[in-house]
Amino acid sequence: MSRLVEIQQQFMQYLLSDEGNDDHEQIKSVMQANVSNQAGISSDIRLAIYANAYRIRLKETIETDHEMLGLYLGDDLFDKMASDYTRTYPSSEKSLRQFCDALPEFLQQDEFFKQHPIIADLALFERRLLNVFDAADSHRASVSELQALAPEHWPSCCLRFHPSVQIFTCNSNAVEAWQALKIDKAPPAPNYLSPRAWLLWRGESRLTEFTSLSEEQYALLFGFIQGHNFASQCEEMLNWHDEQSAPLMVLQTLNLWFQQGLIRAVVSNSTDFTAPTLGSL
Amino acid sequence: MALYVIIYIEPSSYLQRPIKIGYPLSDKHIKEDFLGFGLGLRTDHFEHILQHQPDIDWFEILSENYLVAGGKPRYYLEAIAEQYPLVMHGVSMSIGSTDPLDMDYLKALKKLSNDIQPKWISDHICWTSIHGINSHDLLPLPYTEETVKHVAERVRIVQDILGRRILLENVSSYLSYQDSTMDEWDFLSQVAEAADCLILLDINNIYVSARNHHFDPLDYLKKIDPRRVQQFHLAGHSDFGDYVIDTHDHDVSPPVWALYKAALERFGAVSTMIERDANIPEFPALYNELLEAKNIAKLTLPDHPALARSNFGARKLNKASQQTSVVTQHAMQQKLRG
Repeated sequence: MSRLVEIQQQFMQYLLSDEGNDDHEQIKSVMQANVSNQAGISSDIRLAIYANAYRIRLKETIETDHEMLGLYLGDDLFDKMASDYTRTYPSSEKSLRQFCDALPEFLQQDEFFKQHPIIADLALFERRLLNVFDAADSHRASVSELQALAPEHWPSCCLRFHPSVQIFTCNSNAVEAWQALKIDKAPPAPNYLSPRAWLLWRGESRLTEFTSLSEEQYALLFGFIQGHNFASQCEEMLNWHDEQSAPLMVLQTLNLWFQQGLIRAVVSNSTDFTAPTLGSL
Repeated sequence: MALYVIIYIEPSSYLQRPIKIGYPLSDKHIKEDFLGFGLGLRTDHFEHILQHQPDIDWFEILSENYLVAGGKPRYYLEAIAEQYPLVMHGVSMSIGSTDPLDMDYLKALKKLSNDIQPKWISDHICWTSIHGINSHDLLPLPYTEETVKHVAERVRIVQDILGRRILLENVSSYLSYQDSTMDEWDFLSQVAEAADCLILLDINNIYVSARNHHFDPLDYLKKIDPRRVQQFHLAGHSDFGDYVIDTHDHDVSPPVWALYKAALERFGAVSTMIERDANIPEFPALYNELLEAKNIAKLTLPDHPALARSNFGARKLNKASQQTSVVTQHAMQQKLRG
């Protein structure tokens, strides 16, 4: 093994290890042997500058990406989470943007944090917000594209959604807690009374938006995202509506989705359908 | 990445002048033209820049921040790219690592450069990751023959992939290795020569490392080949007395301004920008700090034709020239001795 490989391995091992490791002192002394003795400060301090910078940079990334989670936890628990997460999931990404991708999973599995599932839900919600923020841009379809479709094609038509569209589901009141913290209010006590669903997306103005989904709205959106067509989604709505009002509810909701910029394309007969207008025919 | 021109000479002129085959253009044409005075493009300033269109000559972007699919970052970037020259500055190439080069990263970088057409692309002469784990820090390399060969070879591959010379920036460091057999400036020079790449000289990093390793920063400047220095970085640091940390969260300090003046004397007009990454002030404050850089450049190189091409701050500087700022006066009075 070349000396360059050896030095880099020993340096990285030193950065990843901390007082919590049984062999930390040994790892440190192996790395220290690579460092020259210079005037001014000891090699111990020289190495510590790198170790501190490594931890501070990653902690700041968690703080930036998960601001409300930080407020919810308070300083001590946040510090515990940051150091335990950094130890368990060192970054393997080029950009810090992805460093916290595994944070919800960590919080769901960690013996301490999993006792309060709302914490992992808060983290997951904030990850979803970030995904909405920098998802790809795309064309947005308008309701006229559906209207231009011949009536016989309506039952088989499907929808394609804007890349920023996300669904978030959880059993806790994590989003309510997030909203309270966002306006400097105390979060409500955690409860796990019922499953909840939220729709998140980025609108025309590039602002991140979200709204709660009722059970039927969730079923409608989820079905369309899965690729179910108009007819089968009208049928699905019979669980909540009678035969007259089910198609009406679907149309009203679709109209709203077009207005919100959620829909990228209307697809008919399994091909992307760009509706011709009368003028272009 | 030497550029070669094969000159075809017709038989009639054959005897009149020598044929030069494989004549390297590099000596004179290695660098891009002087771009003027720039700033690091930061999210906090997006709106201000689009609304007020300040007369900054160019912006430097942190490449990794824009390796995303879309949304606000890309929207603002593309809007600003339409109005200003941009350069791309990366932190994750890990050019000195012993891991294989990350081809996905290089492809993403190339795609971004195709999208925004930067004037140039830079990263740091350091390593950041090994075994796929990223420290997200600019870690120092041992300055040895082995490292020179290793880094230069990788730079050549990167340059082939990107289809252009890259700039390597000197980093601030806090430790030296027992293994090192040469000074940092010799290491940087040897890599640049062997790889035929360019240099982004961070004046603040030279100052920070000089304090931490007790060398004379002028020795550094003297040993760097002016033909390869395409850009200067200026930034603030945190001074803890016994050591200095490169934090980019303060104004540029007086000794760094003085070193900048010395760098201008050695390297002439070099595209210069201020990096601010934390404790970021309102845009006008950074604008005024950049005016100091131009002021010092104009006083140090009074007749340099390239400086006249910079539009940045033209009106403000004319007014200000009647009364030179304290920062500029201080920098101009410093006579650094080698």
